[in-house]
Amino acid sequence: MRTTLPPNLWKTTALVCATLFGGALSHAEPAGKPGVFIMGVDGMDPVILSRLVDEGKMPNFAKLAREGSYQELGTSNPPQSPVAWSNFVTGMNPGGHGIFDFLHRDTSNYHPISSATPAPGEEASALHLFGYVIPLGGSDPKNNRGGTPWWDVLAENEVDVEVFRIPGNFPTPESKAKVLDGMGTIDLRGGFGTYTFYTDTLVEKKHPKGDIEYVSVQDLDLDGIPETATSVLRGPPDQFHLEPGQIPSSSDYLTARLTVHIDADSDTAVVEVGDGRTLIERGKWSDWVEVSFDLLPMGMMPVTGSVRFYAQQLRPKLKLYASPVNISPASPFMPITSPDEFVEEIFSSVGFFYTQGMPEEQEALKDGVFDDGEYIEQVALIQEDTGRMIDFALDRFEPGDTTFVYLSDIDLQCHMLWRHGDPKHPGAPNHPAFDPATAPAHAHDIENFYRDVDATLGKIRKRLPADTLLIVMSDHGFQPYTRKFHLNAWLRDAGYLVINDGKKTGHILTGDVDWSKTRAYGVGFNGLYLNLAGRESEGIVSAAEAGALLAEISAKLEALKDPQGGKSVVLEMYRGSEIYSGPRTPEAPDLVVGYNEGYGCSDESTLGEITEEILEDNTSRWSGNHLMSPDVVPGILLVNRKLSSDGHDLTDVTATLLSYYGIRPLPGMTGDSIL
Amino acid sequence: MQTYNNITSALFDFLLAPFGHEIALFDLIVWPVIMGVGALQVYKYTSNQKAIARVKRQISMHLLEIRLFRDDIAQVLTSTFKIIAKNTVYIGHNLTPMAVMLIPMVTLMVQLVAHYAYEPAQPGSVELLHLKLDPNASISPRDVSLEVPDGVSLDAPVVRTADGQVFWRVRADQPGDHVFRIRVGDETYEKGWAVGGDVRKIPIKRLRSWEALLYPGEAAIPRDAPVLSLELDMHTRPLRFIPDGELGILIWAMVLSMLAGFALKDFFGVTL
Repeated sequence: MRTTLPPNLWKTTALVCATLFGGALSHAEPAGKPGVFIMGVDGMDPVILSRLVDEGKMPNFAKLAREGSYQELGTSNPPQSPVAWSNFVTGMNPGGHGIFDFLHRDTSNYHPISSATPAPGEEASALHLFGYVIPLGGSDPKNNRGGTPWWDVLAENEVDVEVFRIPGNFPTPESKAKVLDGMGTIDLRGGFGTYTFYTDTLVEKKHPKGDIEYVSVQDLDLDGIPETATSVLRGPPDQFHLEPGQIPSSSDYLTARLTVHIDADSDTAVVEVGDGRTLIERGKWSDWVEVSFDLLPMGMMPVTGSVRFYAQQLRPKLKLYASPVNISPASPFMPITSPDEFVEEIFSSVGFFYTQGMPEEQEALKDGVFDDGEYIEQVALIQEDTGRMIDFALDRFEPGDTTFVYLSDIDLQCHMLWRHGDPKHPGAPNHPAFDPATAPAHAHDIENFYRDVDATLGKIRKRLPADTLLIVMSDHGFQPYTRKFHLNAWLRDAGYLVINDGKKTGHILTGDVDWSKTRAYGVGFNGLYLNLAGRESEGIVSAAEAGALLAEISAKLEALKDPQGGKSVVLEMYRGSEIYSGPRTPEAPDLVVGYNEGYGCSDESTLGEITEEILEDNTSRWSGNHLMSPDVVPGILLVNRKLSSDGHDLTDVTATLLSYYGIRPLPGMTGDSIL
Repeated sequence: MQTYNNITSALFDFLLAPFGHEIALFDLIVWPVIMGVGALQVYKYTSNQKAIARVKRQISMHLLEIRLFRDDIAQVLTSTFKIIAKNTVYIGHNLTPMAVMLIPMVTLMVQLVAHYAYEPAQPGSVELLHLKLDPNASISPRDVSLEVPDGVSLDAPVVRTADGQVFWRVRADQPGDHVFRIRVGDETYEKGWAVGGDVRKIPIKRLRSWEALLYPGEAAIPRDAPVLSLELDMHTRPLRFIPDGELGILIWAMVLSMLAGFALKDFFGVTL
C-alpha cells in the first residue's frame, strides 16, 4: 500500500531509489506471503446463502465454496454486531474486550449508556467567562474496547494493513495500521443518526427519531406562487454554553440557516444551508453539501459536517428530508481514521462518503417518513460509496498486505425488509408487519441485496492475485423478529422489579423504579443485571443471594412459553461469569438472555422502560433480527483454501490472520487458526 | 477596473509559470521572496530611516527603564506610556511605505491566486452555475436564459428564486475551455468553465463590484449591467506542501515575503 504523493514526487523518488538500490525497489512481501483480503459482510446468514447458492443466484459464492471451503461461523454471545466484531478484532471474548452489548449501564444511576465509550467518570469543572462555559479538565473521548486489534499486531510486525469501516472503532484509537471507522461513528449531533424533515404538512408520528421542522412556504415575489421556505439545520451541541455533563435539549445545538428556493415552473429547488448550496429535483437525492457550525465567534472554531437532501415533494406541499449531518470526510473535526491523515487519502480518491456508522436511513423508514422504495434508493447510495471504497482498497492492495472491507448491505436490509417475505423460509407465515399492498414489490429485496454482495465478491476475486488468502465472513446470521418481549415488564410481573407507588409502568431513566425493592432489571438487548449490593448504587442483593437468584430467574425464563403458539421465548440463559473470561468479565451482565428464534427484547425494555404488556406482536418495520441465542444465528465463513475442520468461530479468524504471518497470538486471545 | 485587470493579467501571464502551471512551487516561492525584497526597497526609499532608527532606540531605552526601575511604579508607568506613544510614532512612519506597497503586493497575490488556487473541473463532474441579478434592476429571473456550449449539458431544470438568483446544474461531458452564454433581457454575458486538461489559469468568477479586482481571470461585469455576479462552484487545487485555496496562498505569500524581508534587511541595509 502506498501513501499518496504528487506524481512528480513519485517519479523523482522512484528514480533516486532505483539509482541507489537497483532492483531492490519492489515491495517486500512479509515472509514471502501473498497477503490476505477479508470481506466482512454484516449479517449474512448461512441458510439464506445456501438457498440462493443452490438456486444458482450466487454464482461467485458458489464458485468460492466449490474451490475452497464454506461453513457456518460461530458468532459471539450475545450475537450483536459491536460484540461480534470486537471478538473478531481482538481475538477475545467479551470478558477480554469489554463490549457486552450495544448498551451498558451506569451503575451509579442505572441509566443505559452506549458501550462504545466508558461510563462517564467525575464531571469536569467549568470556568464561566463572558457568557461562555469553558470546561476545565475532563478527558478526550476514549474507545471502550479493550484488547489489541489484530491490525496493530500485524502492523507491529511490518505487515501493511488497511481496514475499511470496521465496526466499534470509534472513538478512534491510535494505530500504525490504516483504519477507517465504521458502525458506531457518530454524526455531528453526537448520536448515531438524527435526520431532519422539513415540511408544511402535519406528520402523524408521536415520537419521531428525527427532527420534524414545520415550515411555511412564503410568496416573496408576490407572483401568487409560494416559493421560499426558511428554517435551520441543527449541528453539534453548543459545547461552550453547556455545563459539563449536561444533556443538550433541542435548543442547545448550533444551527445553520437553511433556505429552500422552489422554482415556480419545475419540480426543482435550490437548498442553501450555511455557506453551502445544492440543487435538487423532486424524488432525487442531492450531492453532499458541506456546512460549518461555529463553536466560537468569527469562525475561530468551526465544526464542519456534510449533509445531503432528498426532495420527497416540493409542490403542492414541501417535504424535504435532510440526512443526519455526517462528520465531513473533507475536513473531519475529530478523527475517524488512524492515522488522522488516512481520511485525506480516502477522500482524495473516493470523494464524499457517509462517515456515519450506520448510514442507512432506517429511522426515517421506522418513523414512516420514508417508504420502502425511498429507503432502498438511499441504500443504493451507500452501495455506491462501498463500491468506490472497495475499488480504492483493491487499487492499493499489494502482495503481502492485509486488507479488510466491510459491507453493511445485508444487515440493515434484513432488519428493515424481512416483513415482506421470509428469505430464510419463503413459505413461512406472514410477518405481523406484513403489508399485502407493499409486499409483492419488495418480496425479493433481501435476495437482491445478497446478489449485490455476490457481484462485489466477483469483482474482488477478479482483481486479487490468485494466491491471496481470501476470507469472506459474517458476524452473525438472521431470523425473523415476530414477537417483542418486554423483559422489564416480565421482571415486574415476576416480582423482581418494583415500580414506585404501586404503579405498573414506568422508566428507569425517569426514576420510576423503587430500587430498594428491586432485585433485577434489564438494560441492553440481551443484558439482565442483579441489583447487587456494593456494585449498583442502591443495590440490595447480597453476593450470597446472587447465585440462587440467578438460577431462579434463569429457570423461569427458560420455562416461559408464549401464550400465542406455545413456543419457548427464551432458548437458553447464560451466566456472564461462566461464558466470559478475561479482565473485563466483572462488567458483564449477570445473565445474557438467549432468545429463541422469532423473539427479541423490545426497544422499550432495552432502554429501560417497563411497559404494560410482556409479549406482543412486532408490527414495526424493524422486522428481522439476530439479538437472540447465538445458536440460532450463526454467521458464514468462506475461504479460498480447503479447510480440514469446521466449528470455527470469529476469534479463529483473528488467530488465522496472525498465524498466517507466523505471529504468535497475544495473551487472552482464544482462537485457533482455521488453516 | 477592467483596464487594470487587463494590464496586470497580461504582465503576469507573461511572467508566471515559466515552467508550466504543473510546478506551482516555483512561482509560489520565488515571487513572495521577490515581493519581500521589493518591499524592502520600497521601505528603504519611502520611509524616514533615520527617524525609524531613532524611535526604535527610544523604545529600547524605555524598555530598559522598566527593567531597571521596576520597583518604582511611577517610573514604570511613565515608561510604559512613552513606549505606547513611540510605538504610535513608529507605526506612523510605516504608513507611507505600506500605502506604496499595498497595490503591487495585492496585485501579485491576486495573480498567484488566479493561477494556482483552483484546478479545472473533472470531465463528468456536476457543478452549479449561479447568476445573481441586481435587485434594483428591472429584470426578472424569468428573463434569464442559458445557452449551453458543446461538451456541457444541463443536468437539471433551472431554478429561479424570488430574490433574483438563477441556478443551473451543469455537467462537464467533454474537456475543454467552455463558454456559457447567458441572455439577460437584451444583453448577453459569457462565463468560462475550464474542464479537464492540464492545470492552468482558469476563470473563477465574474463580478460587478470592486471585488472584480480580486478575480482577474475573467472580465469584470460592466457597471451598468443588471447582473451582480456570475460564478461556478470551483475545486481548490491541492498544493500539498503549502496551504491551498485562496486564503492559503494569501497567507503563504504574506508570511514568506515577510520572512524574506526580515532575513535580507541587513544585507540591503534597511531598518525595519
